[in-house]
Amino acid sequence: MEHILIIGGGVGGALAHDLALRGFRVTLVERGALLSGTSGRHHGLLHSGARYVLHDLETARECFEENQILRHIAPRALESNDGLFVALDAADMDHWDRFIDLCAQAGIPAEPLSAALALTLEPELASSIEGAVRVPDASMDAWRLPMQFFATAQCNGATIREYCDVQALHVSNRTVKGVDIRNHRLNRVERLDADLVVNAAGPWAAKVAALADLQIPLRTVPGVMVSVPGRLNNMVINRLHPAGEGDIIVPQRNLSILGTTAWMADDPDVVQMPPDQVSRLFELCSRLIPRVREHEPHAIWHASRPVLAQGAEHDPMRMSRGFDCVDHAAYDELEGFVTLLGGKATTMRAMAEQTADLICRKTGRDRECRTREKVLKPYRSYYRIDVRRWDA
Amino acid sequence: MHNKNQHVTLRILRFKPGQIDPPRFQNYTVSVEADVDPTILDCLEEIRLNQDPTLVYRHSCHHSSCGTCACQINGIPRLACTTQLRQLPTDQVISLEPLKGFACIADLAVNMDVLFKDIDPLWSGLKIDEPDAGTSPQGIQTWQRLEDCIECGCCISACPKMHAGNRFIGPAALTAINRECTKSPGSRKKLLALAGGDRGVDKCKRVLACSRVCPTRVYPSRHIEDLRRHLKNLIANKLLK
Repeated sequence: MEHILIIGGGVGGALAHDLALRGFRVTLVERGALLSGTSGRHHGLLHSGARYVLHDLETARECFEENQILRHIAPRALESNDGLFVALDAADMDHWDRFIDLCAQAGIPAEPLSAALALTLEPELASSIEGAVRVPDASMDAWRLPMQFFATAQCNGATIREYCDVQALHVSNRTVKGVDIRNHRLNRVERLDADLVVNAAGPWAAKVAALADLQIPLRTVPGVMVSVPGRLNNMVINRLHPAGEGDIIVPQRNLSILGTTAWMADDPDVVQMPPDQVSRLFELCSRLIPRVREHEPHAIWHASRPVLAQGAEHDPMRMSRGFDCVDHAAYDELEGFVTLLGGKATTMRAMAEQTADLICRKTGRDRECRTREKVLKPYRSYYRIDVRRWDA
Repeated sequence: MHNKNQHVTLRILRFKPGQIDPPRFQNYTVSVEADVDPTILDCLEEIRLNQDPTLVYRHSCHHSSCGTCACQINGIPRLACTTQLRQLPTDQVISLEPLKGFACIADLAVNMDVLFKDIDPLWSGLKIDEPDAGTSPQGIQTWQRLEDCIECGCCISACPKMHAGNRFIGPAALTAINRECTKSPGSRKKLLALAGGDRGVDKCKRVLACSRVCPTRVYPSRHIEDLRRHLKNLIANKLLK
């Protein structure tokens, strides 16, 4: 079978798993530690899709479908807690009927609750709320869930190499034949040959594409998150309004994570947090749960979303979180090179499926996707397999 | 002292097998603005992205939930992501070394196999919710949440008995065993046999360093005491029979 080289140890893990199940030879390279870019650094929300119904129904549908699949294939990386979309005022109530109608259209179970009932479920919510809608959101372990993809891929024969930074693409006759990596562990450059190279570097995908002088329609959209100590809520709390800043509080272990903001950056390696982001998050989230104000930050961090540049929307919060995989043979007359664009953690399995389908078409292999049913190995298996990961 | 930016020196133990081998310290200087308080992980990111792309360390979530960024900070195992620079004496050099008791992959990154080899992959990472009495809604007692232990390795690094060559199973594995005893009563006997085995609780000399360094307040030494009590009861019950 063909040797597929994946660049990027985030969503690339789901792709390595899918391709290994289909019988391909797989090598994945990541410039740092696994999940050290975007995929491990989000606020840990398994979306029901409800967050997107008001402006991006397609992503909402995708999220719900993947939500159900991930509950089946990775149940142990998820807290069972559901989510509430809380209407704070009359302006939020204006969206109520449409929100419920659109959830129904996307197939997302949405149960309207009175303010009194919502407050019995989540006593720390602002007492003046108008009502809430219960949806199947969940808290996920942002590291352990994707590590299950890596563990399973590795058990199925994929080679996973951390601290290997791609420095060049080898191109001959308009075909990508492999890459040069700098192995930061051994301080040396190595050449890796492949039948096909997949650029799954998330917000860094533009830098990888630039190695082949290609431009891709990708925007880097960082956002800030703040965790506060203690669990202010047990369910995921969202504000019922068109998705905006500071309108999510995700509980996880003994923390509550306030999210998030969005702005445009040019380079995911040079991200400057705009001033006042943290105080704004506290202000906005305290409208949902007033006790947020009583806490000091436990941690402040940011992560860069890779957002597909499409359509006329310029508000980074409302730009579609959809994804696409690009066959550069069709667009740039460059064979052997595929780029995965956009997407989000909740939909990483679907991104992998679509990309692996494309790879099957390109290689003429008729292999069906099995990742919807295949329950993933426990993440700890990644450390228990007898492979010489460090001496490839 | 009137400069807007403070310059802080980090002394990092570098290691590249066959290249920087044996390990040696290398100094880096980061410039910190007066009104910001970066974490040690922020400093490592600054060094890797702007000074030395060859610096290797593990990191992912940046808020103490993944457990990957633990290292010895001024000699104490801590998470780099939640250790603020200004908690440390920044007028002196700050030293960063990999966790003790683990094989070093390169620089600050260690191989976590030591931690995971005695924790069965199938033991659950979830637990039944423990809500605050009185404030939590009905029905929530059956909900599951993620275990507090993030398997960062700080307890292993801090435990002198892990490094004495006496084949101790270690505080992280014993904590996992005790948690699993609660969650899978059917496996209790087998689990207690592990805890009472020749690598088990008797190797612990109650130094309590594990509990002192635990970043998520799991306090492994309490779990070890629990196991000792369970084992004692088990033996007492056998004698009574």
